[in-house]
Amino acid sequence: MTACAGIFAVSCSGEQPKEAMTLQRERQLNQFLAGVERRALRFAEIAVRDRDEALDLVQDAMIKLARNYAGHPEEEWTPLFYRILQNGIRDWHRRQMVRNRVMVWFGRSSAAEDDYDPVAQAPDPMGRTPDEQIEARQAMQKLEHAVAGLPARQREAFMLRTFEGLDVAATATAMGCSEGSVKTHYSRAIHTLRDMLGEHWQ
Amino acid sequence: MKKPLDEKELTAQAKALFDDSVERLDAATLSRLNRGRQQALKEIREPGSGGEWARWVPAGGLAAAAVVAVVVWQGASVEHVTPPAGTVTDFEIILSEDSLDMLEDLEFYSWMDMASLEPEGDVG
Repeated sequence: MTACAGIFAVSCSGEQPKEAMTLQRERQLNQFLAGVERRALRFAEIAVRDRDEALDLVQDAMIKLARNYAGHPEEEWTPLFYRILQNGIRDWHRRQMVRNRVMVWFGRSSAAEDDYDPVAQAPDPMGRTPDEQIEARQAMQKLEHAVAGLPARQREAFMLRTFEGLDVAATATAMGCSEGSVKTHYSRAIHTLRDMLGEHWQ
Repeated sequence: MKKPLDEKELTAQAKALFDDSVERLDAATLSRLNRGRQQALKEIREPGSGGEWARWVPAGGLAAAAVVAVVVWQGASVEHVTPPAGTVTDFEIILSEDSLDMLEDLEFYSWMDMASLEPEGDVG
């Protein structure tokens, strides 16, 4: 009886901490993903210009982070998550290029994508007048158009640094390049955007 | 005359606009994000639950396409009938639904296209 109780106690002490750790990790990851998912969606949406595709990319990134990196220290999650997302976006662009080539080969085109409006028609949470909302949306459209037109690495550096607020080191991790490259890409992106948006933007 | 935006102004305005667009995401989108997150969290509870089967979808698509190709090819050789012109389009639809990776197999499409253009006697 005593021996059984002993074995049971050992078994429980081995199981409970593991379960508790899993639960705690799950809670932490849930908190992290809940905090990052909206921004990640808009991030991906600007890069691929399609909300459904962006949702799929973000979900894939969340699953891969949970599957492969949940055990990593929490402070590593942000650059890791954006690295996974960036890779997904790059793969998406590669597939899209191949797809477009095939579509041309079959005599089809994907011109409908030009009509895409990335700004959702949702009520304004800040209580602005319709004119102010339109102005903000137009400015965002111009910005999205300009950012989407940047070379891929410049776009990544700009979005990670400006939209996500990552520092140079975290951006380098997310982009898989050196800090020097991040600085170069970011600086070029700013220069190009200033030229593209001009002085009348906003 | 307004002077051009400096770096600080540009990034501040860009961030404000981006944050604003994040805030305006609609409920349906937020719901889909939430579902995606729950799916991801299942990976911690039940590793491999989220999409192990999905890894086989491209292979399944390839297998299905191969079966259809063999059926069409065999049918053509036995009955001396040229595959219908829509066959290639059907393949494209099948493949694009299951896996975009399959679209990279341009040689396959090239072969299919050539096969559909061959005179009757040459097929098979």
